[in-house]
Amino acid sequence: MAQVVPNTLKGFGVTLKQVFKKPLTQQYPEYKHPVYPRFRGRHRLHVHANGLEKCVGCSLCAAACPSDCIRVVAAENTPENRVSAGERYARIYEINLSRCIFCGYCELACPFDAITLGNDFEISEYNRDDLIYDKEMLLKEPVKKVPVADRSLYDTPIPYYRSHS
Amino acid sequence: MTDHVTLTIDERTVTVPKGTGLVETAQAAGIEIPVFCYEPRLGPPVGACRMCLVEIEGMPKLQAGCTLTAQEGMVVRTARTSPLASEGQNSTLEFILVNHPLDCPVCDKGGECPLQDLTFRYGPGNTRMTFDKRTQEKPIPLSPTIALDRERCILCYRCTRFSESVSEDNDLVPLNRGANTVIGTFEDQPYRSRFSGNVVELCPVGALTSTQYRFEARPWDIQESPSVCGLCPVGCNISATTREGKVKRIQSRNHPQIDEGWLCDKGRFTYGHLTAADRIKTPLLKGEAGFEPLEWDDALDQAETLLRAGGDTVVTAFSGTESTEQAYALGRLLRAGLGANGAVLPEEIPTALDAYRAPLSSIRDATTIVILTRDLVADRAPIVDLWVKAARRNGATILTEIPEEKLEDAVLISDNAAHAAWLAQDIDAKSAFYLPRTPNGRGVADAWSAAGDGEASNEEPRVVIVSGDDAAADPAVRALAAGADFVIGIGLFQESFEGLADLVLPATSYLERDGTTVNLEGRVQRQRRAVIAPCPDELAWISKLAERFEVEVSPHASLAFEEISGRIYGGVSFAEIGEQAPLPPAAEKGAPVPAPKPVQVPVADGLRVIRYRPLFSGPVVDRVPEVEFQKADHEVGMNPADARERGVIDGDMVTVNSRGNFHRFKARIVRDLPAGTVRLSTYAEGDLTEFVAVRK
Repeated sequence: MAQVVPNTLKGFGVTLKQVFKKPLTQQYPEYKHPVYPRFRGRHRLHVHANGLEKCVGCSLCAAACPSDCIRVVAAENTPENRVSAGERYARIYEINLSRCIFCGYCELACPFDAITLGNDFEISEYNRDDLIYDKEMLLKEPVKKVPVADRSLYDTPIPYYRSHS
Repeated sequence: MTDHVTLTIDERTVTVPKGTGLVETAQAAGIEIPVFCYEPRLGPPVGACRMCLVEIEGMPKLQAGCTLTAQEGMVVRTARTSPLASEGQNSTLEFILVNHPLDCPVCDKGGECPLQDLTFRYGPGNTRMTFDKRTQEKPIPLSPTIALDRERCILCYRCTRFSESVSEDNDLVPLNRGANTVIGTFEDQPYRSRFSGNVVELCPVGALTSTQYRFEARPWDIQESPSVCGLCPVGCNISATTREGKVKRIQSRNHPQIDEGWLCDKGRFTYGHLTAADRIKTPLLKGEAGFEPLEWDDALDQAETLLRAGGDTVVTAFSGTESTEQAYALGRLLRAGLGANGAVLPEEIPTALDAYRAPLSSIRDATTIVILTRDLVADRAPIVDLWVKAARRNGATILTEIPEEKLEDAVLISDNAAHAAWLAQDIDAKSAFYLPRTPNGRGVADAWSAAGDGEASNEEPRVVIVSGDDAAADPAVRALAAGADFVIGIGLFQESFEGLADLVLPATSYLERDGTTVNLEGRVQRQRRAVIAPCPDELAWISKLAERFEVEVSPHASLAFEEISGRIYGGVSFAEIGEQAPLPPAAEKGAPVPAPKPVQVPVADGLRVIRYRPLFSGPVVDRVPEVEFQKADHEVGMNPADARERGVIDGDMVTVNSRGNFHRFKARIVRDLPAGTVRLSTYAEGDLTEFVAVRK
């Protein structure tokens, strides 16, 4: 019993010390901490400089995907409807982001650098169905953007898809 | 041990029968010799691709392993132990890849491509070629079903060898010489053969691809269902490729006794009928303005009312496309529930022929083959035609008339059920095959007899059940149906039953059901459900309907088969049939078959018309636009002698007339046709009588 008073005071002492320290808490979403340049967030599909899609619908990303969240249905390009540079294009390209584990294997598998993982992580929705991103959504710029740390601070090579088109 | 040889491959000693090829010998020793062009089913090896290079002690240079046979005391080193052979294969692949475009991501073969696989295992990791690859126009449509990409072709000659020495159509040939060789058809004519689709499967790269499967799926997207084709009585083993619940392609599945891995184009390319626009998905009732969809409960009420009205006068007309279980379930419902024993069976089954039962592959080893068919064998049972061709290449004699003297080891092929059994006995055939008209006519007849017994009513049928689209197209069935008060149809396509049936219930196709079929050998084979049908399974609603008549019919194919099997197939189970069904043993020879009455062939001026059902005809083929070019409805088949007499060559337009009716047809020279006759499709113009005049 004799220990109760000193121990209680010791505890209060710890609390009191924190009052004078600089707080670590960041006020998300008012403040958004910059992510690392190689942070793997929401996917992006890319187009060539001439407007044709880089994706040829080869489904290799779907094969590489460990969580089986990519669905690709291909179709043939015709002179009237030319979508990609090769013979085939992705008629349907869907990623179920509620299943995606953001491992980046799809990016590694892609032979045309058509899919990359961007930095955006703010993709929560109220409805599960809204997390299935189709091709149009993946081709567009993300609506919500997050700050990215200065690339030059890190030893990060410029990705091939940024330096070539 | 004189008929065996012992040799060493990669320091492993192996003993094989004399005459075994080196590739098989290595396989027996557990060693792989990689190949592209080697395919024993295509005849002698050609050594075109040089992928099989091996080092053989005593030979100064590397040898093509596929062209050699195992010899006593041979010492062979493959790429595993010989740096020289490894270097040779490496270089071979480097040369093959000089002009092979690396468009694997867009190539349909990518993922299941022998060139990809062997390059990974034996090829160089990188390319030294810095110049541009040769480019060609692509894709070239060889036919509406096959696309050719000449850039990808590695000139293994598998496809041309198939065309030359398996299907013997000689349509697909190598054009030009040396480095300029390309595969093509004469004058860019479409590749029109009953077996053209096999070259797609044979091609070791993505040069020959199916246009139907083009860009539809990749190998990791798909599932394969082992099944059996339900479009002709051969019952070829197939593998149905499905993606996302839809059939995307049909491939052959080698059953060495039935099809040897070949498949006809009808079996391969007509799966599009599953998604036909007029497919029946709900029960239909005839209304004021055509058919109206009906709820299932109402449909069963309606069917019950009609059947009760018909009583024991109900007559069922079968197509022979039903599974054995479906026919049995229907038979139980009608025979046990109503006492309605009347049926129009699609086929007369010569059970006496069971004593001459043999696998189809036995045709290849025959010395004499007697073919007595009105239709060409290839139209009724296409794969049988390939076996006959194989026998002819082996030196067999093919007779198309009843031989005068007794024959040794003859094989009889006939399409006349009554005649066949007597003839087999008369010529003392080793084996005999009856070519039925319908895919499962035999199974349906078996099932109907197993479902009950009793005589059919003599009264006029008040209700007729038309089962299947083929029955609905049969003029005899339509005539029978016209005399009935009510007609119940069961089928796939609405158009077949328009103006015929009062109530139509949806059926399932052979790719959408579990069940068994009996092929022309008498082999019971299993069909498996590859995709879910757009309507409930037939067994399910027959079972529901049978409940109302207090008959127990299982809605499960396996249980239904157990019942049938116990009654007529000696209790064999689904599991025993397995994926490669065994042939039941031949039956004991019964009492001698009496000779049938001779048929008088009428004689008159002009050429006698033989009406036949072409392979590419019928309700299923009509719904697949890709195989339209294969149809023979506007063609007249002529004997070479008759054609020469009239100055007609293959492909000419000729006028065919009888009694003032003139029609223009394209002439086709058919070697197997008897002189003095012409062949016309049953779907060709009907106003031509039995004898016609043909002129250019």
